[in-house]
Amino acid sequence: MERHLALSARGVQMEYRDRQSGRRLLALENVDLEVPDGAFVSLLGPSGCGKSTFLKIVNGLLRQTAGEIKLHRVAKGREDAMVFQDASLFPWYTVTDNVAYGLVCAGASRSAARERAQPYIDLVGLKGFGDKYPYQLSGGMQQRANLARALAVDAAILLMDEPFASLDAQTRELMQAELLRIWNAARKTVLFVTHQIDEAVFLSDRVIVMAARPGRVIADITIEIPRPRTLEVKRTPKFQEYEEQIWKLIGGQYEPAAGATAS
Amino acid sequence: MAATTPLPRAAGSPFTWLRAAIGERLFYGLIGLVVVVVAWESTARMGLYKQTLMSMPSSILRVAMEDVTNGSIWPHIWVSSQEFAIGFVVSLVIGIPLGLAIGLFRRVDYLLSGLLAGLNATPNVALIPLIILIFGLGIEAKAVVVFLSAFFAVVVTTFSGVQSTARRHLDITRSFGGSPWLGFRTVVLPSTLPFIISGIRIGAGRALVGVVSAEILSANVGLGFYIALKAQFLDVARAMFGIIIFGFLGLVIGEGVRAIERRFEVWRPDLHH
Amino acid sequence: MTETAAFRVIHARVRRRRHPLVRWYRRNERAVLSATGIVGFFLLWQIGADAGVIDKLFFSSPAAIAAAGWQEVQNPRFWEDARVSGWELFVGSAIAIAVSVPLGLLIGWYRRLNYAADPWLNFANALPRAALIPIIVLTAGLGIEMKIVVVFLGGVFTIMVATVEGVRTVERHLLDVARSFRAPQRLIFTSLVIPGTLPFIVSGMRIAVGRVLAGVIIAEFYAQTQGIGVMIYKASNSFLQGGSDRMMFGILLFTLLGIVLYETVGYAERYFQRWRPGLDLEETT
Repeated sequence: MERHLALSARGVQMEYRDRQSGRRLLALENVDLEVPDGAFVSLLGPSGCGKSTFLKIVNGLLRQTAGEIKLHRVAKGREDAMVFQDASLFPWYTVTDNVAYGLVCAGASRSAARERAQPYIDLVGLKGFGDKYPYQLSGGMQQRANLARALAVDAAILLMDEPFASLDAQTRELMQAELLRIWNAARKTVLFVTHQIDEAVFLSDRVIVMAARPGRVIADITIEIPRPRTLEVKRTPKFQEYEEQIWKLIGGQYEPAAGATAS
Repeated sequence: MAATTPLPRAAGSPFTWLRAAIGERLFYGLIGLVVVVVAWESTARMGLYKQTLMSMPSSILRVAMEDVTNGSIWPHIWVSSQEFAIGFVVSLVIGIPLGLAIGLFRRVDYLLSGLLAGLNATPNVALIPLIILIFGLGIEAKAVVVFLSAFFAVVVTTFSGVQSTARRHLDITRSFGGSPWLGFRTVVLPSTLPFIISGIRIGAGRALVGVVSAEILSANVGLGFYIALKAQFLDVARAMFGIIIFGFLGLVIGEGVRAIERRFEVWRPDLHH
Repeated sequence: MTETAAFRVIHARVRRRRHPLVRWYRRNERAVLSATGIVGFFLLWQIGADAGVIDKLFFSSPAAIAAAGWQEVQNPRFWEDARVSGWELFVGSAIAIAVSVPLGLLIGWYRRLNYAADPWLNFANALPRAALIPIIVLTAGLGIEMKIVVVFLGGVFTIMVATVEGVRTVERHLLDVARSFRAPQRLIFTSLVIPGTLPFIVSGMRIAVGRVLAGVIIAEFYAQTQGIGVMIYKASNSFLQGGSDRMMFGILLFTLLGIVLYETVGYAERYFQRWRPGLDLEETT
């Protein structure tokens, strides 16, 4: 029995021409990638390795200069939905309207969209906050709304672009655990971009490690830690082995820093 | 502007209590007001300067009462208000869409930017003779001056509002497959609204100045005319009264716009104290 | 169970070679379109005037204006007018700056003075000077002094308001740093407040450009003695004899002067704001 591939990328390349020097820069070089249905896969690497660029290409915000991407087509609606990095709720909309926005973009009427958004607001733990404005929410809560918006669209694959980057360390850990809880309930395919090793190992089935200049894949590591995972898992030896393994792969690209949780 | 400290204990002068009750800003502001009025009145009575320079508060109050009760001030206020309203509303009707167009379409911006810069650099008063030439001496001419006075401020603020729309937010619309038209309605417009309202406030102020300038130079009715006429007849008290009315109108408009701001922009954190 | 699922394919973007002329246009689009806009405006004006669509009696035409201008420039009376207007502008502005900056610094620095004076300052700033002209004339007469006063009033409050705002915007924590080093008041003032306020002062001056120019014109309109403003006024009265050529020439002179002054002060403004990430004064017009 063959599982479907939610996403399949072959030879994807992204080339920029520097306006001033005229030089060609390769943000992505020859990226091959496969994400099966229902899997949680991370793209991990230092800044400049093209992980966000790849995500944007999948989402359609950018267009690659070479290569092909296939997305498993779903019966209705979009195949993919993006969870953006920080501060991406519309300040002039309430939480409910923000979460409903993806549906409005897809053509739903405002009232229908608000209705369909409601269960997702509850799912991410924002029940009762629907009529608040973003400025009244904390950073963690705003990211939950961000997540709800992407979930509401009911896309097959969820693209997450360093969604917890702007949160403080404690909130970040809590949100990681929350994300796994929600993912278990919603069972989407997730492509998650981050530069934090512990985050990638904790959340994913597979960690795809990337390097910069030019952006390329250097490793594809399967994380064999059983689910469901709780935050305690981060202190187990197996977890730290994975961290060490990945750290060595990336090591040469960072300046030496203390601890695996350095960001 | 409510008091941020609780009322102090019974000891302490009434001044301390008042200051704590209404806040420092209002307290010293009131002191300033009282000082100025008192100084004005007393230096006038002492004959320290010619009455024809600035008159004095008691005279102004007296003639104000007269002209309000005998009704002679109202036709002037009415005409000036008409000129203001017509010119200002037209400047909004034309200026806001134009500002949006310039902000949205790069090519429109490039084509018009040189011309608009030239128009802005021309002092509106220099155009008054031309306008009177074309439109005559009636309300239309004044309305045109008002329009020109407010127009540029409205266009520029609207334009910079569109420009300041966060690229990020438009990316979100695109990411979820929304059309550019939807992006305009749901992202650009709400984003620009604060700027548009700010433009309305600044434009209204400019429009008010425009009314005065136009009327002082060539009118036979209106507040500006009233001021010029009374001054020419050395009735400085009435002239000051007219000036004060203008100041007051400006204040009312400013506060009115701020109220609109609070009503329409519930989502802005900086408007809530 | 194998099932061939339908896939949506995202293809790479196709790169097309563009004609070099198109590429040149793309790079210089802004300059090309701006120039087109301005040239086009004058061209349409001229064509419209010649075709009778635009009434020459009122608006004249670019060609006629240029001709009238050429005439004027050779007339010594024109230069006399220009000298008078220029002098009014210069003296009024100079005194305005000399008064508004020190006063503004004081009002901005002393909190209580600020609270007392602020409403008056805003009131005076919003007040249309045109309303005051009849009264000023009563005391200052119709001569050059009156015009200097009007110009002065146009500039002084604008710059003062900007100066006050500049002083009050000096970053709190920078002041704390200076105080923690026990810097004497005078040093705080010269090393922190004044450099911090300069950009605001210059921005205020930029806004004031429009106001002082308007002051010159409106004062001259009212007083009807000498100056380019008077020339504009008189020319408009003789429009039946072709006076609108001279009138438009006068107007364009002020436009030109406005652009030059605006850009010059704008240049100074950018110079003083080199170190600022982004300044957002409310009135940028």
